[in-house]
Amino acid sequence: MINKTAFIFPAFITEFTRNEIEFLDKNSTDFNDYLHKASVALNIDLPEFSYNTDVYKTDELNSQLLAYLLSCAFSDILQKKGIIPDLIAGYSMGIYASLYAAKSITIEDGAKLIFSAYNLVNNLTGTRIYGMGAIIGLSTKDVGNLIQDSAPDLEIININNEHSLVIAGKKDDVLLVLAKAKEEGAFSAAELTVDTPYHSKYLLKYSDRFENLVNSFSIKEAVIPVVSTYNQRIFTQVSDVKKELIFNLTRKINWYKTMQKLIENNVNEIYECGAGKDLKKISRFIEGDYKMKSIYKI
Amino acid sequence: MAQITDKTKDEVKEVVFDFFAEECEMEIDEISEDSNIISDLDGDSLMFLELIEIFKKKYNLNIELKTIGKYAVKNPVQTIGELIDMQLLIIEHENNILEIE
Repeated sequence: MINKTAFIFPAFITEFTRNEIEFLDKNSTDFNDYLHKASVALNIDLPEFSYNTDVYKTDELNSQLLAYLLSCAFSDILQKKGIIPDLIAGYSMGIYASLYAAKSITIEDGAKLIFSAYNLVNNLTGTRIYGMGAIIGLSTKDVGNLIQDSAPDLEIININNEHSLVIAGKKDDVLLVLAKAKEEGAFSAAELTVDTPYHSKYLLKYSDRFENLVNSFSIKEAVIPVVSTYNQRIFTQVSDVKKELIFNLTRKINWYKTMQKLIENNVNEIYECGAGKDLKKISRFIEGDYKMKSIYKI
Repeated sequence: MAQITDKTKDEVKEVVFDFFAEECEMEIDEISEDSNIISDLDGDSLMFLELIEIFKKKYNLNIELKTIGKYAVKNPVQTIGELIDMQLLIIEHENNILEIE
């Protein structure tokens, strides 16, 4: 069997492992350089990173930018060490770091794309009436029935694994279905700390405008193939990168199938390039002959 | 209803300790029955779910996750010792676990 390696990129930072800063220091990486590049590109002032910097906890855009920049830094460290992935995948908003790692976009353009996407949907986000939630322990069918019975406008927008999925829509609907999921026997049903219903039908109306934005960037062919979280196709071409950026924001994704695609393609070592260990956690119920490798042990 | 023997208790304890040692990248002797699953071991719902699946296969249990979930929500566990006790109850009562309340 051919041994292959993949890098996967998380969307947000749920919880730091608290090894992140030590890992950057140990690998002589000045994270301020990454913050500076994004700050200049966006004409904003991203403060120095610590585990307790409030602005990275309370502001959705800043927390997205931090997650992106840490993922980029970690990917750079791994690649400098000679760990070059055969395939790449980005979970939800992790797409931007995944395209940076695949050498399709620059670090500055990734930050600009995040900034543009965020501002584009801000009239939706700013209303604070939308949200997302994660349910663990119920089947897709069970959650589908709950949605149909109590909040039919809500959507399952991502399946993480056999026992974990994500819902998005109006916040009241999200909270209602989360409460019903707990009554139904979910092991966990929690609201996510975002005000944007990513991947839901509410974002579809932004497709054309986001396409125009994406077309204004200088996007290159991916040097390392990327797996689409939208349809699990493996792509490198510029036109596919652009499509993936648009679909990733405005359509449902399926992380479970994306991971299965990596495994089907003989990937047996997977590095989670990002802060926290959310992707390692959800890999638990994704079967296959692979290992989630800790970046902190390299 | 299964009979819980001393052997079963030892097996369950061993599986739980081995599982957390591997998942949390710790030595077994760093974990005790008083270890808090969340604050000491950074545990989560998916770990709990995976343990249930392990015991479901090991003891060929007739359980529905939803039923165990309902019990777990009403009877949350915090420590490894409490988790072992709950796993023993699941093995003993399977899908009838809600009736023991």
